Amino acid sequence: MPPRRVAITGIGIISPLGLSLEENWDALSHGRPAIAPIQSVDCSKLRFQNGAEVRGFDPAKYFPGGKEDQLDRFAQFSVAAARDALRDSAIELTPELRESCAIVCGSAVGGQAAIERGFEDLWVAGRGRVHPLTIPKTMANAGASHISMDLGLSGPTYTVSTACSSANHAVGQAFRMVRNGDVEMAVAGGSEAFFTIGMLRSWEAMRVVAPDTCRPFSKDRRGMILGEGGAMVILEPFEAARARGAKIYGEICGFGMTSDAHHLTQPTMEGPARAMRAALRDAGLAPEEIGYINAHGTGTPGNDPVESRAIRAVFGAHADKLGVSSTKSLHGHALGAAGALEAVATVMTLRHGILPPTANYLGRDPECDLDYIPNEPRAAKVGAAISNSFAFGGLNAVLAFRAV
Amino acid sequence: MSDPVAEKVIATLASVKRIPADSIKLDTNLQEMGIDSLDVFSLVFELENAFQISIPDDDVRSIKTVNDVVQGIKKLLDAAPSGASPSSAPTPAS
Repeated sequence: MPPRRVAITGIGIISPLGLSLEENWDALSHGRPAIAPIQSVDCSKLRFQNGAEVRGFDPAKYFPGGKEDQLDRFAQFSVAAARDALRDSAIELTPELRESCAIVCGSAVGGQAAIERGFEDLWVAGRGRVHPLTIPKTMANAGASHISMDLGLSGPTYTVSTACSSANHAVGQAFRMVRNGDVEMAVAGGSEAFFTIGMLRSWEAMRVVAPDTCRPFSKDRRGMILGEGGAMVILEPFEAARARGAKIYGEICGFGMTSDAHHLTQPTMEGPARAMRAALRDAGLAPEEIGYINAHGTGTPGNDPVESRAIRAVFGAHADKLGVSSTKSLHGHALGAAGALEAVATVMTLRHGILPPTANYLGRDPECDLDYIPNEPRAAKVGAAISNSFAFGGLNAVLAFRAV
Repeated sequence: MSDPVAEKVIATLASVKRIPADSIKLDTNLQEMGIDSLDVFSLVFELENAFQISIPDDDVRSIKTVNDVVQGIKKLLDAAPSGASPSSAPTPAS
C-alpha cells in the first residue's frame, strides 16, 4: 500500500496573538505583534521586561467547578486548543475512531510553573508541604493525558520534549503514524507556559533574550522574546477527509529530523540543512517547489545567520526567490509550542496566499541576505512551504506542507 | 449555622469547587457534589491549612459526607494539645 496523504482538518490555537484561529490569522496576516511588557511576573529587576503573553485566557471558562486547579497552565492550553481543533474538524468520533486516534504533544518544560510554586511554598513561605497535585501538574505528559481524558481518545498518546523543536517533532511523529496507517486520526501540536520568576531568571542567565523586541534576521537584533501558548491540529488521511466532505486546510507532506552532534546552544549550518533536505525528500518536493519558509528565526545573533546560510545551502539560487519570515517576531518564542504555532501560521499562509511578515525589521544584516518579508505581509500564491524548528541541544525538526 | 468548624469546612469546599456555600449542607454527599479523588486531595490540603492540623491518610479514605469531614476535624482538634498546633501541622507563612 502506498503511503497515505495526510490532511489538516482542524485547528485550535491559544497564543499571544489571540484565543481563536480567526484572531491569530488576523494578527499574522496583518503583521501585528503581541510583544509587550510582561504582566504576570514582576520583571523590574530583570535585564528584559518584554514578552509575548497569552492575554484574557480564563481557565474557569474551560474548566469549571474548580477543575482548573488540576491542570497547570500549559496543560490548560493543550486541552483548550485540542477541543477547538476537534470542534473545528467537525469529525464524527465513532468508538473505533476514538481508539485509533493518536495524541502527540510537544512541551519543553511541561508544568515547571507548578513545581516552582511548590518550591516557593517550601523555601520562601516556609510551609512544610506543597500542593498535593504538584506531581500530576508538573509531569510533561499532562497535556497529552488531559486531552485523552477530556476528549475520550484512547490511541497512542505521548509527549515529545526536545526543547524548541518539541512541537515539530510531535506533529511529525503524528503525521507519520497517520501516513503509515498506524492510526486513522491524530491530535498533534504543542503547548508551553513558563512565565515564572525562576524560568525568566534562567532565560536571563542564558543571555539570549532581547531587552527590546524580537527582530529576526534584522540588523541590530538583540535576541529572542519569550512567548507562551498552545496549538493543536487534527490530522486525517486525505482520502478519508475528502470522503466526509471535511474542510481541508492543507496537507502535511514531509518531515525531516537531524541532530548537530556539536554543541548545547550553538547551531551548526549542516544539521539544519540536512533536516530541511530530509523533509523535502520525505515530501517528494524539489527545492524549487517551495515558496515560503516559516523560519526558526529566533532573533538571536547566533541563529539567524546560520539558518540563512543553511537555507542558501539547501535551496541554491532558488533561495533568492523564496519568502522567508519568522513569525516569532509576532507571537514570541513559545519553546515547545513554537512549532505548533508556526505550523498553523504556515498552513494558513498556504490556504490564504498571504505571507506573514518578519516584524520589527530595521534593515539588512550583511550575514542575513534572504528575502525576509520585512514588516509588511505579502500576497503570494504558494504551493508548498516548510517550517523550521532548531532546538538547544542541536536537535532539528522540519515539517513540509502543501496547499490543497 | 452557628458551628464555626462546619462553617469553615463548607467555605473551604465552596472555594475548592467554585460553588456558593449555601448550596452545601451537612448531609451533602461529596461524591454527589462532584468531588472526585483528586478534589479530595486538594480539599484535605486546604482543610489542613485552614485548621492547622494534619489529617491522617486513613481518615481521608473514610470521608463520605460533609458531616464526616466536620466530625473528623473536630476529633483532630480535640486531640491536639490546647494552645499549640500538632507538631506535624503546617507552619503559617508569616
